[in-house]
Amino acid sequence: MTSMFHRSVLALAAVALLAGTSVVNAQQQDKNRALKKYESGTKEFWTHPPDDWFLGDETEAQKGLAPPSGPPTGASEAELATMMKKIKLPPGFKIEVYAPGVLAARQMAWGSKGTLFVGSFGLGNVYAIKDNNGKKEVKTILKGLNMPTGLAVKDGALYVIAVDKLIRYDDIENKLDNPGEGKVVYDDMPSYAAHGWKYIAVDKDGWFFLPFGPPFNVGIPPTSVSQIRRVDPKTGNAEIWALGVRNSVGGDVDPRTGKFWFTENARDWISDDLPSDKLNMINKIGEHFGYPYCHQGNLPDDKFAMGHKCSEFTPPVLNLGAHVAPLGMKFYTGDQFPAEYKNNILIAEHGSWNRHKYQGARIMRVIVGPDGKNAKQEVFASGWLEGDQGYLGRPNDIILAKDGSILVADDWAGAIYRISYSKK
Amino acid sequence: MRRQFSSYAIGALSLAVLAFVPANAADNAAIKEKAAVCSGCHGENGISQTENIPSLAGQPDQFIQWQLVFFRAGSRKNDQMQPIVEEITNEDIRNFGAYFSQMTPPKAAEDSDPDLSKKGAQVAVGRRCASCHTDSFAGTKAVARLAGQREEYLVKALRDYKAGVRVGGGVAAMADVAYHMSDEEITAVSHYLAYFK
Repeated sequence: MTSMFHRSVLALAAVALLAGTSVVNAQQQDKNRALKKYESGTKEFWTHPPDDWFLGDETEAQKGLAPPSGPPTGASEAELATMMKKIKLPPGFKIEVYAPGVLAARQMAWGSKGTLFVGSFGLGNVYAIKDNNGKKEVKTILKGLNMPTGLAVKDGALYVIAVDKLIRYDDIENKLDNPGEGKVVYDDMPSYAAHGWKYIAVDKDGWFFLPFGPPFNVGIPPTSVSQIRRVDPKTGNAEIWALGVRNSVGGDVDPRTGKFWFTENARDWISDDLPSDKLNMINKIGEHFGYPYCHQGNLPDDKFAMGHKCSEFTPPVLNLGAHVAPLGMKFYTGDQFPAEYKNNILIAEHGSWNRHKYQGARIMRVIVGPDGKNAKQEVFASGWLEGDQGYLGRPNDIILAKDGSILVADDWAGAIYRISYSKK
Repeated sequence: MRRQFSSYAIGALSLAVLAFVPANAADNAAIKEKAAVCSGCHGENGISQTENIPSLAGQPDQFIQWQLVFFRAGSRKNDQMQPIVEEITNEDIRNFGAYFSQMTPPKAAEDSDPDLSKKGAQVAVGRRCASCHTDSFAGTKAVARLAGQREEYLVKALRDYKAGVRVGGGVAAMADVAYHMSDEEITAVSHYLAYFK
């Protein structure tokens, strides 16, 4: 056991050294590369999004910033144990590994019999996690789907959203060994992979809120995207619920009002500190949240504002910070945490890539009333980011457990964590 | 500048080797035994002698690991690889990554068609291959080594990407690069990379 630990430490050191050489290599090669010009104001641009769709008009100082690639097999159990000791929480809270080996873990949903379903990113897997007397069994129940990041359970059926298909698997908890092919219940969605991954947020009527991101950083989007739709999984009927939304990767229905709140990732390549990512609330159907004309409620886009003023659009409830990448969010409706947490919003921040010094990779707590006024935020859980660009993990979704604890999905470390509270 | 860079690289590499070899001696024997099944197709020392089968020697550690993870998940489909990797553990995947990445990469033969390489070089510039695969085309992290790879395999890989049969890792997909490439370009750039020194 000890020797295994030493080995992995040495191996890590070696990987770090090798990574160091490739950074030097990348920097050298960047010097030879012309600055990227990015013509996203044309229809041709998005009919087939370019390979480097996530880039923008970079400045000299921004050359070389790119999304980092995580460890393909996630973090080992020894690495996770070490990591847990580094996570900082408010007094009385505790974090532990709920399940390791959930590679590329994204949105989570509970089955009524206590199965935890978990989507994944590029891997194409959907997992079911069963609790066998405290030991968590992680089973891959679906494979080969197209970025099945989002899922929900309703009336005994598992719904999975895979970019352009919403698929229903009936009676799922009795069919974990053989869920079948599933039935596509909604497919009026573009097939762009870029910002095409989705989550599902179920409202009180059983309709699903689904995000539609534009297939690029910034530009004039095709009319089928940059919006949030509300879709009835029974009939396939859909309505456009919000417009002017860039890349939303998480949302939840306010238990107090039934209104939909969502996080939104702002455009890249302006600077390390602009613009801010957002927390939004939809007051009424059809509101416009500003993209691509206006960012963070007060910053007209240099190129794409095209005469629009920020006052034309719905401002954010809260600016969360630049490049923090807010993804999954949940209203805390449980009874385990201290009473002042009731109806607070917990947001999983995935963390930066388009910033020299990363920020995020933590869980934030937002304190705000049902009207969305005077929101403020504070750090709830942190420690997944070391140094300027060193991720240990990247939280991306939150779900409440029956006992009032929360579970957190991490697609970098490939694990689910549990955060609980007990009075001292 | 160049000199400084290479001495840094050599220093880092030798340190890495020192860190790896003694600690991993026991593992190495085990992984060598497990890798025997690979050499049937991918060749002794990770250099393939078989048509349409890629060489693995000198591929970046993370690239090897990602491909195994993709095969295991079924998001990269291949009839031969599927049954082999189905039950592979995460630890095996990490060990295979380390094992193949430390092997000496294939050395390109004498270029049989320099004119075609010249065309291929232009394609590589136009499609900005080096911006991910690096100027030496040795690859890095999750990005594949292309230099010295089997020519017909590079053609196959590009055609697979173009046809949407194969998807890349992450979100910036090779599929989108290859989508725009003509067959002529694929032939030329594959030749150029296979003989790249």
